[in-house]
Amino acid sequence: MVMRVRGLEDFPPADAPVRDGLPSADHHLAPDTAEEMAEVMAAASDAAAVVVPWGGGVHQGLGHRLYPDVIVSTRRLDRIIVWEPEDLTVVVESGVLVDELEAELSTRTQTAAFPETTPGATVGGVISAGVSGYRRPRYGPTRDRILQATVATGDGRLVTAGGRVVKNVSGYDIQRSVFGAHGALGVITSVCLKLWPRAAASATVAVDDPVAAWAGLHRPLAVLQTPTGSAAYVEGPAAQVDQDAARLGGDRRDGLHWPDPPRGEITAAVTVAPAMTAEAVGRITAIGPFVAQHGVGRIDVAGDRSSGWVEVRGWAESVGGRLTITSAPADFYDSFDPWGTAPPAVAVQARLVAGFDPLRTINRGRLPGGL
Amino acid sequence: MGLPEDLAAVVGSDHVLTDGLERFLYGKDAGVFRGTATVVVMPATTGEVAEIVRIAERHEVPIVARGAGTGLAGGAVPLEAGVVVSTTRMNTIFSVDAANRSAWVGPGVINLDLSRHTAPLGLHFAPDPSSQQACTIGGNVANNSGGPHCLADGSTTDHILGMEVVLAGGTVITVGGDAPDVPGVDLRTILVGSEGTLGIVTKVLVRLTPNPPDVRTLLCVFDSVRAAAATVSGVIGAGIVPAALEMMDQRMTVLIENWLHAGFPVDAAAILLAEVTGETPSVTAEAEVVERIAWECGATAVSTAADDAERALLWKARKSAFGAVAQTAPNYYLHDTVVPRTRLVETLEEVYRIGERHGLVMMNVFHAGDGNLHPLMTFDASEPGTLDRVHAASAELVALSVDNGGALTGEHGVGVEKRDLMPLMFSDVDLDAQARVKESFDPGGIFNPDKLLPRGSRCYDFGRPIPEGTWI
Repeated sequence: MVMRVRGLEDFPPADAPVRDGLPSADHHLAPDTAEEMAEVMAAASDAAAVVVPWGGGVHQGLGHRLYPDVIVSTRRLDRIIVWEPEDLTVVVESGVLVDELEAELSTRTQTAAFPETTPGATVGGVISAGVSGYRRPRYGPTRDRILQATVATGDGRLVTAGGRVVKNVSGYDIQRSVFGAHGALGVITSVCLKLWPRAAASATVAVDDPVAAWAGLHRPLAVLQTPTGSAAYVEGPAAQVDQDAARLGGDRRDGLHWPDPPRGEITAAVTVAPAMTAEAVGRITAIGPFVAQHGVGRIDVAGDRSSGWVEVRGWAESVGGRLTITSAPADFYDSFDPWGTAPPAVAVQARLVAGFDPLRTINRGRLPGGL
Repeated sequence: MGLPEDLAAVVGSDHVLTDGLERFLYGKDAGVFRGTATVVVMPATTGEVAEIVRIAERHEVPIVARGAGTGLAGGAVPLEAGVVVSTTRMNTIFSVDAANRSAWVGPGVINLDLSRHTAPLGLHFAPDPSSQQACTIGGNVANNSGGPHCLADGSTTDHILGMEVVLAGGTVITVGGDAPDVPGVDLRTILVGSEGTLGIVTKVLVRLTPNPPDVRTLLCVFDSVRAAAATVSGVIGAGIVPAALEMMDQRMTVLIENWLHAGFPVDAAAILLAEVTGETPSVTAEAEVVERIAWECGATAVSTAADDAERALLWKARKSAFGAVAQTAPNYYLHDTVVPRTRLVETLEEVYRIGERHGLVMMNVFHAGDGNLHPLMTFDASEPGTLDRVHAASAELVALSVDNGGALTGEHGVGVEKRDLMPLMFSDVDLDAQARVKESFDPGGIFNPDKLLPRGSRCYDFGRPIPEGTWI
């Protein structure tokens, strides 16, 4: 049983560097430990407060706007707890920066296949926001690598699910369900992740026809299209990379050179069935800079208020996809639902969430359907 | 009307089994646990399943969903009087979408049938349990099944894009889809591996994986289990995740060889079956590394399957291992635990010691590459006291794996078998959270009761009460 001896005002406030860049709230807290994170949640739910967990702030543009009483930073949960290179697993606290973790893992030529171009993002933020990297055609979405998760629930319990092994079906898969849940099942305090070895060689090869490139390669890392051109990303033993590059025929650069994410007043993700990527690109080219992931069915695009989002969303939803706002000025969300048509079974989601966050303390209302 | 009559009104009397022998047969799976079905019903459509759920609720009896019954943990065993819902008639492959590499299938479709069906398109369903000639996709979803090729490709959960599921009250929901990154809390993920305790899956959208253009299957022979295990660690440590990395010990290879004549060396202490897949340059390079490490670790021989027929025979031999055991004893108990790959050697040595201590023949054939152990004990259950020794040894095997930083089960599921062992891995607070998942989907407790979680897991002392009205 959680002892609720402290009120929100009794926790040490986040100091200036941690507070920098955070929106206003009555309390800015930065717990030192997972246990303290759970205590904060218990105190917040006692006070009927609304809490926004904050990692690097990179993905806070997702979802409905809310006005938090408490912003709780994961910045001090910043330890790599145990890395087992021979087992290809790492246990890491949620406030660790993705780029710092990847830099550490690369010293033993390993990767967690986290998003490649999100500087400042944290492990917990990427997982909570449900974000995957470009290499997912080979390694799957970030979700697939979550082996264990510890969360501080909205009512202050510290719950662990999963295990520190690469294969495990002991109990309900709460650990992977936290992916994209925006804290509804709890604030992530640590995770165990499955790692992949980095291949001996890699290359970025320019291609004229991304659809043909995708179809012609056996499990490439990625085939990306931007307004300035397309490229296939391949890795493997050197002889394999040489063969892939020769077959693709375009300009080859060694290493993986990822495009910058699209930036603008408003950014959005169009998601469709993978084979519709090219058609989706046709629908958004007039909007602004974009990165399209062929074989995945996701196009990230930047534009402004006049970009015709309503029409693009209408088309995407008509073909079983969607358009999700990933960042925009706060008032834009008043006139445009950031998620679009709520997915089915929101009521079932709400019942599941109630078991973890009975008062909806964490990110109340942020999720689709206002959950 | 009575329960069988109500069910017959929905599916027709031909598809309701009430005969004593039939109910007896549906009272067990491929493991050692046994119950008795009150009635067995075989629906063909989602609508029929929904109606069956409502009927069971009206009669206040539980529902146990069942695929092919190849499970080993008792997940499909009806523990109390109730309805067994067999999905075997729901075996339609509704659509295959080659461009999107996906297919909508019924839960009763047999795993291998699906991959055979999609083979002309150059695609397959990656999870390949040893029972894949019989087990169903619905069963794979329920147990988050694995198989040798899950080492590189991941378990079933990585290959389920969406599903239609019948929940309590007969509510039908569809979650997921071909488009990625569906927002909201991901119900698909919590449903995969839920062992039929949250609802009944009636359609599944599976991800299909391109067939590899080239395959190399190596048979590495060792004069010690330790050397074989060291090779596994060496390969993973060298930055190669093979498509499969399977190990078996001498007792196992002798039995298999005696039956199938796959060319396994019967005098070797252990063999490793390593498979690398991809395009030829990649396959060649990775096979060279695997072979080099095997020699460095003390292999006495390394050979490569010369053609598809040889490769198929090696895999047939591997996947038939449990059938081969029938030569030696009338009964066997197959375990499924996981340890970190770095702890393989010491764990295996202790596994053999446990067998010796309990006077049981212990053999091993397992997914070494992901640390997924399958210790197998053979015995004659008709000998008094034997089963007690088996259960005592089993408890030690599971505790050993957990003590070494591992998990209770890697791919078979918790079911009845490991239900009461869950506290070895999880705290009271953790188990309460799991029980809340169950409660949120199935407040009446009609779906596969008393599986996966020990009784009393839900503890109302933790956290804050769930507000009234949440279920309305």
